[in-house]
Amino acid sequence: MYDHTFSRQNPGCIVILLDRSESMGLPWRSSGMTLADGAARAINRLLFDLCIKATKEVGGAVRDYFHVLVLGYGARPMEGGEGVESAFGGRLAGRGIIPLSELAGAPLAIREEPSVDAMAATTKMPIWVEPVYGYRTPMCEAIAVAGGHVFEWVEDHPESFPPIVINITDGLVTDSPYEGAELAEWAKRLETVETLDGPTLLFNVFLSSEGEPAFFPTSGHHFPDPGPQLFDMSSPLPAPMVRNAQAAGVAVLPGARAMCFNADLEALVKFLEIGTRAAELPGR
Amino acid sequence: MFNTRMVTFWLQKDGSHPHEWEDGAMGDVGDVGRGRNPRFVLADGATEAYDAIRWVDHLVTSFTDQDGDAPELDPPSMLRWFTAVQQAWVAAAPQTFGTIFEEHAFADGSFATLLGCEIRDADGPAPWWRAVALGDTVLFHVRRGALLVHFPPLAPDDFGLHPDGVDTRPAALPLMMQQLTSANHGLQSDDELFLATDALAEWILRTRQLEGDGRVWDFLSHLSHPDVFAQFVADSRVAGVMKNDDVTLMRILVSESDPELVVVCL
Repeated sequence: MYDHTFSRQNPGCIVILLDRSESMGLPWRSSGMTLADGAARAINRLLFDLCIKATKEVGGAVRDYFHVLVLGYGARPMEGGEGVESAFGGRLAGRGIIPLSELAGAPLAIREEPSVDAMAATTKMPIWVEPVYGYRTPMCEAIAVAGGHVFEWVEDHPESFPPIVINITDGLVTDSPYEGAELAEWAKRLETVETLDGPTLLFNVFLSSEGEPAFFPTSGHHFPDPGPQLFDMSSPLPAPMVRNAQAAGVAVLPGARAMCFNADLEALVKFLEIGTRAAELPGR
Repeated sequence: MFNTRMVTFWLQKDGSHPHEWEDGAMGDVGDVGRGRNPRFVLADGATEAYDAIRWVDHLVTSFTDQDGDAPELDPPSMLRWFTAVQQAWVAAAPQTFGTIFEEHAFADGSFATLLGCEIRDADGPAPWWRAVALGDTVLFHVRRGALLVHFPPLAPDDFGLHPDGVDTRPAALPLMMQQLTSANHGLQSDDELFLATDALAEWILRTRQLEGDGRVWDFLSHLSHPDVFAQFVADSRVAGVMKNDDVTLMRILVSESDPELVVVCL
């Protein structure tokens, strides 16, 4: 399991669930940003990196090694009110999982942004996701909606690496039970969506202002709520990702889960990079 | 007098087109009388890297250009060569980039593993090879159906996702020089050298462990048609014993005798 490579024939699928509840307007550690700002920057950076890696030759189009979707939950700037909707705007608004080449062709803007790494003060970045926050935290509904999208996607891509769903949140779920099922049950249902290479992987990123940062923990009981629950929902980290994490200098112990707690922006970007590198593009 | 005969088999990764094969192979059987030693090279471009095909093509062409930039296989000369190929990469940069992704991809650079070897003293009684390597492309030296030595001396579990390699970025030069390795070994008539990129090299080492030398070298020594090679690779991928990657095999026979026949594949 989890050893298929990403290719245009068998692309990868990355779905990000972005908490857009009111509490995402709180400061992110000492960064001077809100949690919503930081999460949006990390997601834009991830999408940008995927497009760069899929750019293979002079004058060539971005190759569709991945299909992607970002779902916001909480505030819905497009439809209004509280709920779940695609966080992509412009031409991509309301679309489901889209090929990377379509994403590359439709950023909302290209802006000078502070660099995540220390190499440059600013860098030109395409923006696909804007920081938004408001309302409560309908995480169950977000996982349910994501499940519908990945279920359809898997039917069309049965031989691909399984979908990777990354949930970025800071707070307690407010809609559990949703349609008769608790949050943990929705997470289990998501993992029943499988390709021939294995079940869907669920990553959880818990943004918190208290506690020591942790990457790929082996236990969740010491995290503040809802950390223990998010830990239990997170997939065991599969072997290719363990190797990627170790290659990136991150120690991973047996039993590690696909979870990140209280990261700063640089660490969050690194976590997303490890989580989406998976079994690699073909070749390397 | 020893002469060398070379044949190369390759197959692109499943899901790619033949023109997207990102390995590179080149050989020069040399002209010993005029002081040009036989020289062979394989490079394996990183798929995540930008324009790996051009980088690999540049590396293998330059490495075998013995009237031009080809390096001696010692560290000072390799350092000069690495610097020269990096400068050539930058010099060939597009004046403008079509997209912001292309601009960043170029800045991130390209990357390829490299295995180069040269056969020396082919006009004497004791020829030998010298090889340099960065990464997990491997040279196997086979005599009478048994493996004598392989270089770099990797184990099957050493084939990972992050091998050493030749980077386009000058900042990587110190690390490349630290990781560069070399080896020598004596040759006898009818010895064979097999140069293989990582997926096949890993298959060779694992199959030897399971089934011994006979299965591996008997098959690879008698390969004579690219369709047979392609079928073998396809079958191995389906069986899950070879990863889906570009695959390249260069077979070099070192012999005192002339060829008995010439095979032309149409």
